[in-house]
Amino acid sequence: MAVLEIRNLCKSFGGIVVADQIDLDLKAHGVLGLIGPNGAGKTSLFNLICGVVPPDAGSITLDGLSMEGQPIHERARLGLARTWQTLRLFPSLSVIDNLMLGPRDYSADRLIDVFLRPTYIAQREREARQRAEYILERTGLIAIKDSPVMDITYGQQKLVGVARALMNEARCLLLDEPMAGVEGQTYALIQKVVRDLAESGVAICVVEHNVAFIKDLCDEGVFMFAGKVLARGSVDQLIADPHLTELYFGT
Amino acid sequence: MDYLYSILILIGLFIILASSFDLVIGHCGLISIAHPIFYAIGAYVSAMLAKHNIMPIPLAMLSGGVVAFVASALVAVPALRVSGDYLLIASIGFQLGLIELAKHIHEIGGAGGLTNIPSFLIRDYGRESYVVLVLVLAGLTVLFIKWLTQGPYGRMMAAMRDDELAFSMLGRNAIWVKVSVFGIGSGIAGIAGGLYAHYFRFLEPDQFGLLQSSAVLTMVVVGGLRTAWGPVIGALVLQLMPQMITFFNLPPSVLGPLQGLIFTGLVLVFMFKRPQGLLAAPVIWTGKAPEKRGA
Ligand SMILES: Nc1ncnc2c1ncn2[C@@H]1O[C@H](COP(=O)(O)OP(=O)(O)OP(=O)(O)O)[C@@H](O)[C@H]1O
Ligand SMILES: [Mg+2]
Repeated sequence: MAVLEIRNLCKSFGGIVVADQIDLDLKAHGVLGLIGPNGAGKTSLFNLICGVVPPDAGSITLDGLSMEGQPIHERARLGLARTWQTLRLFPSLSVIDNLMLGPRDYSADRLIDVFLRPTYIAQREREARQRAEYILERTGLIAIKDSPVMDITYGQQKLVGVARALMNEARCLLLDEPMAGVEGQTYALIQKVVRDLAESGVAICVVEHNVAFIKDLCDEGVFMFAGKVLARGSVDQLIADPHLTELYFGT
Repeated sequence: MDYLYSILILIGLFIILASSFDLVIGHCGLISIAHPIFYAIGAYVSAMLAKHNIMPIPLAMLSGGVVAFVASALVAVPALRVSGDYLLIASIGFQLGLIELAKHIHEIGGAGGLTNIPSFLIRDYGRESYVVLVLVLAGLTVLFIKWLTQGPYGRMMAAMRDDELAFSMLGRNAIWVKVSVFGIGSGIAGIAGGLYAHYFRFLEPDQFGLLQSSAVLTMVVVGGLRTAWGPVIGALVLQLMPQMITFFNLPPSVLGPLQGLIFTGLVLVFMFKRPQGLLAAPVIWTGKAPEKRGA
């Protein structure tokens, strides 16, 4: 069974159709590439999945549970995590504190615990710190863990965005252009992290304009245009299709 | 001497009010200026409970805080579900509406004010003891807010101020954080209200209007948002300045508007010239336990 199931999802903003009867499955252990020209509706699809915007019609289930009407934070707590095309890090926090907020259950989610259960809070904080340090180690960020996120390079910020999303131990991870503006070592790191994650059973969807990266990383690709899923297949197949290439690069 | 005691007590109470207001507006980023109405609720509830011998005064003061906490949550929950900006309108509406309502409730003294509120401590231990009580509680409030905002809850507030959408996407419930903090800040203001009532022994609805709101706002802005000592300095400066004006023996009809002008003027000057206030908060949130950092 698919981890994330999207059925007949529809959404338009005024006259702009961003989702037109979308059916899509994300499977455990799979990395699905989402390709399409600017304005195709890729980010909008992520926003619909996460509850950032409500759909006009259709359903989304995570592990068989309907997410209809659920607010964003509830979806995250069901095991959905994402990164943002515009990063959206917390500028007034250090790298590690950005991550520390990411566990599905945060130490201080219940204010009453802060007052009445200091040992519980301390325990949860320790666990979160350990997990954050482990993820920072894997993403090569451990040396800069105490730096303010505004003081590090753009490539490092991109990694922090991915690392923060990993704190959730999500069932389903959505990555919105993780490679845009990233090169060299960081490129290889993100690739390895995503691959390892998929192997551990997470269902992953990556939006990316970088076709080489999609080819390296994804088992399968989906081509989106004007809110429609036009084709699904191996990445090579999609690139080879002259009709899709024409839509992608314009005429 | 009584005059000095009154001023010290007012300074202590304004430290409590300004610090708890800074928790709401500075740390949590909630736009509301209705803080004095929760001070009023605490004051009236405590005064009425004590006046009718329903409970001992310390318990009455605590009850005032609890009622202020509940009232603030009742305002915040529906308002924040609509949007963050709506809280400003809803809370001012609540403040002005409740003040008007209070003026028409005979049982709590109406527009003329509630008199003969039982005093606390003073008869047995003297006015000095009340000064000590208020200043100690003011100190505890400052320390409590410092503790809360430097812990994991402070990390949440910092992140939520930065980017509420990204914050929610991590699984954190922004509305719940806002309602909780608004409730705590208002509850503290409510307790301060009780402390006011049982010393000055007279309450009048108009005391808790927009002039009071602008005074507390000015203290926080002038002192410095999100700093432990900013509200303390703000309360001192703003409480002593009007006292100095009163030496000029101006008629009350001039004094009130003049104070309002000074408060508004100060807020404007600071917003443009020194938005961080006299004390600037650090840009980066770093909780306590500095030993884990920068090794
Ligand atoms: N909240 C919104 N209100 C109105 N229009 C929107 C909104 N969000 C997206 N759109 C519009 O929907 C269309 C699809 O946008 P979307 O961001 O999903 O594209 P995309 O495929 O992610 O493109 P890119 O590759 O440039 O990131 C665009 O025309 C955009 O302007
Ligand atoms: Mg996009």
